[in-house]
Amino acid sequence: MGGGGKTKIKIINLRKVFENGGRRVMAIDNLNLDIKEKEFTVIVGPSGCGKSTLLYLIAGFEKPTSGQILLDGKPIEGPGPDRGFVFQEFALYPWRTVLGNIMFGLEIQGVPKEEAKKRAMHYVKMVGLEGFENAYPHTLSGGMKQRVGIARALAYEPSVLLMDEPFGSLDAQTKKIMQRELLRIWEETKKTVVYVTHSVIEATYLADRVVVLTARPARVKAIIDVDLPRPRSYTDEEYLEIREKILSFLDEEVMKAYKSRMLKA
Amino acid sequence: MKFERRSVISILENVKKSLTEAFSFMLPLLSIVLIWQLIVELKIISPRLLPPPSEIAQTFLELSSQRTGGVPILLIHLYKSFIRIALGLSAAVLFGVTFGMLMGVNRVIYRMLQPIISFLIPIPTLAWVPILLIWTGIGDKTIIITVFLGAFFVIVYNTANGVRNVDRHLIWAAQIMGANKWTLFTKVLLPGSLVSVITGLRLAVGYSWRALVGAEMLAATAWGLGYMVFAARALMAVNVMFVGLILIMVTGFIMENCIMVPLQRRTIERWGMVREM
Repeated sequence: MGGGGKTKIKIINLRKVFENGGRRVMAIDNLNLDIKEKEFTVIVGPSGCGKSTLLYLIAGFEKPTSGQILLDGKPIEGPGPDRGFVFQEFALYPWRTVLGNIMFGLEIQGVPKEEAKKRAMHYVKMVGLEGFENAYPHTLSGGMKQRVGIARALAYEPSVLLMDEPFGSLDAQTKKIMQRELLRIWEETKKTVVYVTHSVIEATYLADRVVVLTARPARVKAIIDVDLPRPRSYTDEEYLEIREKILSFLDEEVMKAYKSRMLKA
Repeated sequence: MKFERRSVISILENVKKSLTEAFSFMLPLLSIVLIWQLIVELKIISPRLLPPPSEIAQTFLELSSQRTGGVPILLIHLYKSFIRIALGLSAAVLFGVTFGMLMGVNRVIYRMLQPIISFLIPIPTLAWVPILLIWTGIGDKTIIITVFLGAFFVIVYNTANGVRNVDRHLIWAAQIMGANKWTLFTKVLLPGSLVSVITGLRLAVGYSWRALVGAEMLAATAWGLGYMVFAARALMAVNVMFVGLILIMVTGFIMENCIMVPLQRRTIERWGMVREM
């Protein structure tokens, strides 16, 4: 873990400017970052700094204003099945069952129905949803919905998993269980994970590397390697030390964001 | 067998459930009928102006026994109206959903059609009838086109909005899995807009009846429920008018409950996209 790996995603001089109603908002400016293959990278930053925008750019949902994002050395042209995305609000298809949602990517790839079903069932089991495969999403709890979300993103076997505050809307207990589950799944599937959160506790618990972004416009403020064995303990001294370090970087930026907002008000 | 017994029980339970539902539905209607009868019996309102339900029922029976060429007159009125609705409404559904979908997926089409539709929507459907009378004359054509116009706009409007309101995350999720435009349309936008499309269709059923009856009053030559009600005015036959109104009501109600409600139950309610009531 940490260091040595091959670069999977390379972000070069990235800039993203949003225009709405004549107002220009610079979300990201001159951001450079290398994300290594099979690593678990967590991106933290003050709220509203452009973390999600960065993830949307990697996903190809948004286009950069300037700069480049290379995936396996090739520039990202748009969304595509070499990546999987897990949304904070799940974004499941209400008209598809659990299995139907998880199979969707395989159907799109043209995998024959029986084969798709078989492969989807593998992921149903992996996320612990056996027995619920014929349920409709609206009958599931938040935690279970996000299990579907994760399985759906994995089922067509992308090499990169992008996660946008995936457990942000779950209660504290479910969140802890899901974090542990996610690490197990990640160790099983060995994807390159880019995970956005505003929680330093979560970042330190999950990450190989934590990337702290600055207040808007987002740049890389610091990169912290978390070289601790898993499963990590929330009370371990080393863990707390790293957490404090990340927190102090983040706090500076949160204060900056707060001040600039107060000045504008 | 165990399974069979269970299914018999569940059928019985369903029958029981629908009976109680029917009863709770009928109760307010029955009370209105009773109060109505009472008002006339107590001579609060003259029966010449408001015939009691008992008399309307009698008129209904009389009309049912009147025949032309062996077919009950009432049935011919009903049949004529129904055919006009069926033709006008299905054309409206076909064109309305198609145009609405096109507007929902294509910005250029949306910008072209949206202003035209906003201009046409406020025109009361019946205001078209005089113009249509000149264009297509008295008769079925005018009535069917009026029904079409009554239903078309509300379907286009709701369909286009339904497509535009599909959560962008649902679209992104499909795109990152590699969906092309066609798959995105058939597998995401179409089902995703269904709540709004069904709302449009239900409104359209109601609007088409309004348009039909109005158009029949102005443009029908001999048949149709609207014509029947309007023609009864010349004879001061209030009973006949009420029979017409009740028939319109019942037919509209059957269309709503035999087509729209099951469609909704099987789709958006089952998927939890709307709450069950």
